[in-house]
Amino acid sequence: MKQRNEKLWSILILGLVNAGIIIVLSFLSPTFLTYENIVSVLKRMSELGMLAIAETIVFISGGFDLSVGTIMALSGLIAVQMYIFGLPFFLCILLALLGGMAAGLMNALLIVKLRLQPFIVTLATMSIFRSIVYGVLRGKTLTQFPESYLAYGDLTILGLPFLFIVLVIFAVLSTLLLERTYIGRHIHAVGGNEHAAYLSGILVDRIKYTVYILSGFISACAGLLFSMRIRAVIPDAGLNAPLEVVTAVVIGGTAITGGKGSIIGSLLGVLALFLLTNGFSLLNLNPFWQQVVLGLLLIYVVGREGITEALAGKKLKKRSHQAVRIDRAQ
Amino acid sequence: MNTPLEFKIQEKHKSLRNFRELPIFLYILCMLIVFSIIIPGFFSTRNFINISRQIAVVGILSMGMTLVILTGGIDLSVGSILSFAISIGGMGIPDGKSIWSVYPLVLGLGLLLGLVNGFLVTSISVPAIIVTLGTMNIYRGITMIVTKGKYITPIPSQFLYIGRGLTPFLFLVGTVILFIYITLFTRFGRNIYAIGGSEQSAIYSGVPVKKYKIAVYAISGILSAFAGLIFVGRSAFIQPQAGIGYEMNAIAAVVIGGTSISGGAGSILGSFLGSALMGLILAGLTMLSVDPYWQGLVTGVLIILAISMDSFQKLRSERRTL
Amino acid sequence: MKRKKKGIATIFQELTVIQELTVAENIFLGREPIGFAGVLDRAEMERKSQQVLNELNAPFSPRDKVGDLSVANQQIVEISKALVLNPRILIMDEPTSSLTEREIQNLFLVISSLKKKGITILYVSHKLEEIFKICDSITVLRDGKHIHTGPIKDTTPPDVIRMMVGRSLNMMYPPRTAQKGDLLLSVKGLTRAGEFQDISFNVHAGEIVGFAGLIGSGRTEVAKALFGATCPDSGDIEIRGQRTKLFTNPFEAISNGLAYLSEDRKQEGLILLLSVRENISLPIVKKISQYLFVKRKEEQDIVDSLIEKLKIKVFSRDQVVETLSGGNQQKVVISKLLLTNAQILIFDEPTRGIDVGTKYEIYKIMNDLTADGKGIIFISSELPEILGISDRIYCMREGSIAKEFTREEASPEKVMSVLTGGS
Repeated sequence: MKQRNEKLWSILILGLVNAGIIIVLSFLSPTFLTYENIVSVLKRMSELGMLAIAETIVFISGGFDLSVGTIMALSGLIAVQMYIFGLPFFLCILLALLGGMAAGLMNALLIVKLRLQPFIVTLATMSIFRSIVYGVLRGKTLTQFPESYLAYGDLTILGLPFLFIVLVIFAVLSTLLLERTYIGRHIHAVGGNEHAAYLSGILVDRIKYTVYILSGFISACAGLLFSMRIRAVIPDAGLNAPLEVVTAVVIGGTAITGGKGSIIGSLLGVLALFLLTNGFSLLNLNPFWQQVVLGLLLIYVVGREGITEALAGKKLKKRSHQAVRIDRAQ
Repeated sequence: MNTPLEFKIQEKHKSLRNFRELPIFLYILCMLIVFSIIIPGFFSTRNFINISRQIAVVGILSMGMTLVILTGGIDLSVGSILSFAISIGGMGIPDGKSIWSVYPLVLGLGLLLGLVNGFLVTSISVPAIIVTLGTMNIYRGITMIVTKGKYITPIPSQFLYIGRGLTPFLFLVGTVILFIYITLFTRFGRNIYAIGGSEQSAIYSGVPVKKYKIAVYAISGILSAFAGLIFVGRSAFIQPQAGIGYEMNAIAAVVIGGTSISGGAGSILGSFLGSALMGLILAGLTMLSVDPYWQGLVTGVLIILAISMDSFQKLRSERRTL
Repeated sequence: MKRKKKGIATIFQELTVIQELTVAENIFLGREPIGFAGVLDRAEMERKSQQVLNELNAPFSPRDKVGDLSVANQQIVEISKALVLNPRILIMDEPTSSLTEREIQNLFLVISSLKKKGITILYVSHKLEEIFKICDSITVLRDGKHIHTGPIKDTTPPDVIRMMVGRSLNMMYPPRTAQKGDLLLSVKGLTRAGEFQDISFNVHAGEIVGFAGLIGSGRTEVAKALFGATCPDSGDIEIRGQRTKLFTNPFEAISNGLAYLSEDRKQEGLILLLSVRENISLPIVKKISQYLFVKRKEEQDIVDSLIEKLKIKVFSRDQVVETLSGGNQQKVVISKLLLTNAQILIFDEPTRGIDVGTKYEIYKIMNDLTADGKGIIFISSELPEILGISDRIYCMREGSIAKEFTREEASPEKVMSVLTGGS
């Protein structure tokens, strides 16, 4: 009960913060609340939002995936390259998605079979995948996509951009997965306490494989959406992703330690990020202020409890001593 | 005395000390030999001096990173601190300030930023990875805003001495020796390992854990600034975008060098060898005309190989006990 | 820290040594002697450490890495750490839990030499024979209250037991009514190097089989290997007469009708972040799902019925488990096990850290389970409760089963003497 309330509260607060930013920005700039601007923001959010969904799932399972951005770049590359080779386009898309899943599988194998820490593993695979993208593209930009595919980038349904709708669909599906299915329950358990989950009969390894392969799949989808939007495949796709995604997900209330989190929260975090970017550019503010604000926001959001504790000073320390004593008695 | 269940205690403390770094050392030798054979001109003084200059910056960064990781933390902001320190500290250069006023300022800024990191990590209960992710952004942002993205060039020659010839490498080696001394021979060093090994036990034994943690982040900050000085010496201009991605290289060097990312185990010597190995391989690949694009692949594979072996050893000694 | 300065040193039961450092480094942690320029005076550290180690007849040297030592030796390092401080008051909390007979004798010699030096020792222990051997006065605490303090020559062990328990042994435990049924589990020759060897025992339906032993005797290790959490090196098990291969993970064990209640409910038994409902339903959450989706209503009903059956005190089934009291947390874990429909249940220290009232409830639960035809393996370090409700008792010492008693044959003195090295 308490946990559910807390989660709802933090989502609510984040929602209000976003609303607040929207209101402020719409006052400060006449072009903010225009249809064109909103559509533009929603479109640009889409791929980062997808990556945030992937990362949220991984975080909840207690893991870490730094390679999401590079898998995004990789999948776009696979799609366009296969098409250049002459394969039918739907096959190219399939291969791109499989590529993403294979990358996720590689992560999972290293993490599960060799018991390596996810942070380092995905740091390494991020480097490897990015290098593959660089090496194949050699600085070039590829644009050979069928027009029918690229048209989806401009498509709007009921006024909303197609890209955004895809994001919403993924968000809904993943929220259902995490909150309503037994797989989601297992994922929460593994993230909450891997050892206890193991002793309860959960096949922890299997969950980890699932999570990383899923993350790879979603990142690959993000890559396709990205290529639709910018109508190209570029070597630097997703370069800032690790930072932005982790910031957005953490701001959104998902714990790095695992066991709890929410997709909606992460998406609100992504929205907050984009509103800030958008706002800054509309107000002609130095974009680098955005970086500073992001950093401060990150530390503040995660450290909110810790900050008030620190300000409250020594009182809390004494209490924690007592807690330790009671703990040991048990 | 010995029940059937007691382990035999072997007297291998002496050989144990070398043991950890032995594999990397051997790799380096292998690479040296291989590259010298297949690349003409590899085994030359000029080439080695070049390589040594290249590994100096990351090498020094990895010293601070090693200490931080040993205590169980991590510092993602080293690249940003480097840039902040040289860009803002170096603003007096076009006005003719000398190294005697610029250098202390740069180092002071590094110290300051490191202290901020340390305070944040120890006083609010936020994991170091988040804190330094945040400060990485904050410091970088401030740097860009204050410098307005402008380069500082040209750089007077007095600032370039530190980047010439063998000087960078000598500074690196000096730093390595200093830190080996600290970690192996002083109480400060032992306590750092203790904190990483088991923070609770360290607290119970009266180690002032907070102060130590602030100290290691401060050291990381100063070293980042110092690395920046060498960077300026080599590149002969200051750009505020300097140092992007350096934290990953530093972490890679530390991990390849055998330090455990969860803290408590590892060595300065290992990190030094790790950065040397990385530099060596990258230089070799460049000379083989391998595309620089593929460097990331090599670094990534190296990291995986290094941590896999460490994990293999661990997995073999303890059987599956989950 | 302040306490150290006043000359009070404590040796805790849990190890606080740091695995990666050497013995000498651990002994002097936080107070390393420093020489010129802040350098560690290793020679001094080793010299002083060796002194203490000699007093304790320790079979290792100051340069050995603590991580390489056995748990018993690590405990000796722990003791050395305290001794080197030359304390005026030494608090020892269950210091002999992992020591062999000879090591205990050594420790007692050290204690008497410390006594001669004028050092006061607070010896916290539940092992009465040790207390009566070396202590001069005794204080009995129960449930956080002080019961008695006095010279030891004025008390007898039965007096102390009565004071510890609060009522005579008979009324502490519900009467056993279950009938012994068929053979549920038969284990032969279970071995895992470094932990236990050649373990063979049986469990019948309706039985509570107690496993007595000192800490470090290997009982939890046997349980975990049986349950598939760790891999035994060799052994045969038969479930209901069928030869079964050794389990490689808990999932297999659970599928075959085993359940394990861990001694560390916070780290291994519960997921503290999650709610009561989510914890209880965890093992069967897949079973009650349709097309991947968990059937909410069914889950609620099942959880509610268990909350009622075991009388778990919660505001709501969605309450976060971390906020429950120890006893209620334990009931949550037991509920979880019950849902797996296991026939063979392993209870490892089920009443640790739980108040007396809830303890009785748990004994009753165990009784009811066996009345239903289940078999329980009951591991406990509290001799009274093992003697109180087990039908048969296996005594483990240093990784082997030393002796088996039936309920009638067993007595506190007999069992204790087997556990500590007699015959």
